[in-house]
Order: sequence, then C-alpha cells, then structure tokens
Amino acid sequence: MSGVIERAYVVTLTIPDNEAFTALTTLARMGLAVEAAVRSDVWIATVEAEHAAALDGTITTIETVYNPNKHRLEVREDARPRSGEVWITAHDETPAITIAGRTVDGVRGIVRRTSWRLLDQHGADVPAAVLDRATESFLCNPAFQKAIR
Amino acid sequence: MSRVAVVLFPGTNSEDETQRALIAAGLDAEIVHWSRGSAALRAFDAYVLPGGFAYEDRVRAGAVAAHDEVMDAVVEGAQAGKFVIGICNGAQVLLEAGLVPGTGPLHRPTAAFAPNASGKFQSVHVHVRLAVSPTRIPVLAGLASDAILPAWASHGEGRLAAPDAELDTMERNGHVAFVYCNARGERIAAPNGSARGVAGLTNVAGNVLAIMPHPERDAWTFMHRDGDADKAAARGNAQAMLAPSGGMKFFHAFAAGLAARRVLR
Repeated sequence: MSGVIERAYVVTLTIPDNEAFTALTTLARMGLAVEAAVRSDVWIATVEAEHAAALDGTITTIETVYNPNKHRLEVREDARPRSGEVWITAHDETPAITIAGRTVDGVRGIVRRTSWRLLDQHGADVPAAVLDRATESFLCNPAFQKAIR
Repeated sequence: MSRVAVVLFPGTNSEDETQRALIAAGLDAEIVHWSRGSAALRAFDAYVLPGGFAYEDRVRAGAVAAHDEVMDAVVEGAQAGKFVIGICNGAQVLLEAGLVPGTGPLHRPTAAFAPNASGKFQSVHVHVRLAVSPTRIPVLAGLASDAILPAWASHGEGRLAAPDAELDTMERNGHVAFVYCNARGERIAAPNGSARGVAGLTNVAGNVLAIMPHPERDAWTFMHRDGDADKAAARGNAQAMLAPSGGMKFFHAFAAGLAARRVLR
C-alpha cells in the first residue's frame, strides 16, 4: 500500500450533549419539526496509506479527541458526509499538522469539522428541506463557513 | 430621560460597566435578564447588548442568542427605528440576527464576526475611528466627524468576514461605522485580521450599531492600559483616576442621539 489517503474520525458524545440540546431548543423556536440533534466532531486526516492503521489506533489514545468513557468513535475510509448529515467548516479551513498538539507519523494534515444530523420523532433523518432551512438559518453562516452535504 | 435596556444573556459579563457608562451619560439604564422575555423589553426606548458570551457561544458566537425569544423585541424595535447597540458579543448577536449590516433577510447573515486571524482570543487596547458622517448614524449622532475612541478589543471572534462584493456594498453604502486606527486616527491593520480594518457596522437606517471593541472598558482614566501617560499622571490621585475618558464619548453620543430623537418625536 502506498500514497496518501483520507481518513475521517467521527467522534460523538454518548453523554448528554449540551450544545446539541441548545441547538435543538433553537431549532424548535424556529418552528422546525426536529426531535433530536446529533452533533459530532469530524477529524479528517490526510495520511500516508502505510500509516493509516496506526493512526486509527493512535486516535483512540488522544483523549482530547476521543475519550471512550464519553465518546463513540466511527472510523471512515472516506471523508464525505453520509446521507442526512451536514458538515460545517470554515471557508479558509487550514490543515494542522498536529493532532491535539501531537505529531503523528505519516499525517500530512488534519482538519476538524462539525457534523449535524437532525432527527424526527421516529428517529429518522428529517426531510432535506428541514435540514436545509436549519443549515441556512442557523447552523452555518455562509459569510465564513460552508456546509458540506 | 430615555430608558435603555441592557439585555443580559446567559454568559454576558459586561453588563455592569455598560450600565454604569450609560448612567454616567445621563440615561436611565436597567439590566434586563433574558428570561423576562420580549414583553419586558418593549417599554424601553433603546437596547444595548453588552459583551461577554451568550449560551457559551454554542454553535457559533451569537447564533443561539440571535434566535432567543427576547430578541423579538429587539428586532421589532430596530425595525421601528429604536436605537440598538451591540458591543462585542452583542455585536455578534446583532450580526447573526441579520440586523447589521442589514443587507439581507433576518437570520440570513451576509457577514460574520469570524474567529480572529490569529486563531486565538486577543485582549488589546485599540483605537477606532468613526468612518461615516455622524448624520449617517443617528444612534451616535452626538459624535464628532472622524471621532477617535479608545477601547479594549477583547474577543476570539471579531474578524469581519464577508465576500468581497458584500464588503464593497458595505463600504459604498456607509455600513462601515468604525475602523481600527492608531491614536492619531490613521488606519491600521486590525489586530484580529478584520476585513478592511472594520471594527463596527451599522444598518441601512443607522439606528443599529454593532461594534467589536469595548468603549465601556475605557470610559474612565483608571481603565487605560498600563503605561498610558494620562493614567501614569493620575496615579495617586483618585479624582483624576475617576475622570471620564475617551470611551465615554461613545455613550454621551448615544445619549445625545436619543435626546435628539425625542425632540423630533
């Protein structure tokens, strides 16, 4: 295996997420039919392929990124949002070369985005129009952020 | 006497000094807790949103507070011509609510006070200069042309960001109310990397102002930065230390604007 690949680490709180709850309250105030909001930190690493597996392990040891006592970690081999997700990032997103202050072998750069999923009363993703309105009116300020769907 | 509400959100931390400066400028200023709701605000003549944080700045600075129920009265008031000032976090709230620059629909901000170019929270003493004619901005009608105010810039997200076309529109139509400058009024690069050196924005009607640096934190001589000549000269003299300083011009101008509006009515 050679070359450079992307790896996405999606880290979600398993304990109550105050920020997501505040967002949910605001969405309700906006009149949107949303029953739950799920927020995740998405760390996207550009990594030399031969170091990718090692990075998967290293990530689990950096507690400011992932703490098994309060987070769920999903490792993805592609760095794209799934259906129902919107990822928010800055237009001028600049990759860092360290993760939480640590240099990791093979990592060329890493960026951090915020993922949102909005769920209805059945636990299903809300219709795209609802997610669009939430994104355009609240979750993303297009003057300096972009929403990736 | 005009009644001014100093609107307190959870996390606001500059309400006392803001109220003190407003009272010193001759206004009847009352701190109004957000939980009292918009009904409690409607009787006031004007609103000031002070600095600090709001809802821990969750999602984005100002974003949650901009949708708070208490903002209904602020938005309605602004649209009816009441004077509204936001300082620092208050400025972020007004921008996220779409009240400034006011070139788009409500809650569809056309600009942002984005994270500082340094990526860090910065607290630095600055000067800002009025960048429009005082007649363009009734909310501060009492300021002199090219007025220079001292203030403390104290924020992590104060860098104005917007597409170039929007920045052009803001400059062309007089939305850029204040720019960063040195003590002589010469424009300088903004310490936070703000686009075109912008420190404050106003809306189309000039009755809403969002300013990132805090004039209320340099309202009396003792608030100057250490090393300042006036402060050094005042050391050991309580009366001199408590003398109003440049930041008070901002609040006197606000009071003058309110008084002028009452006369017109």
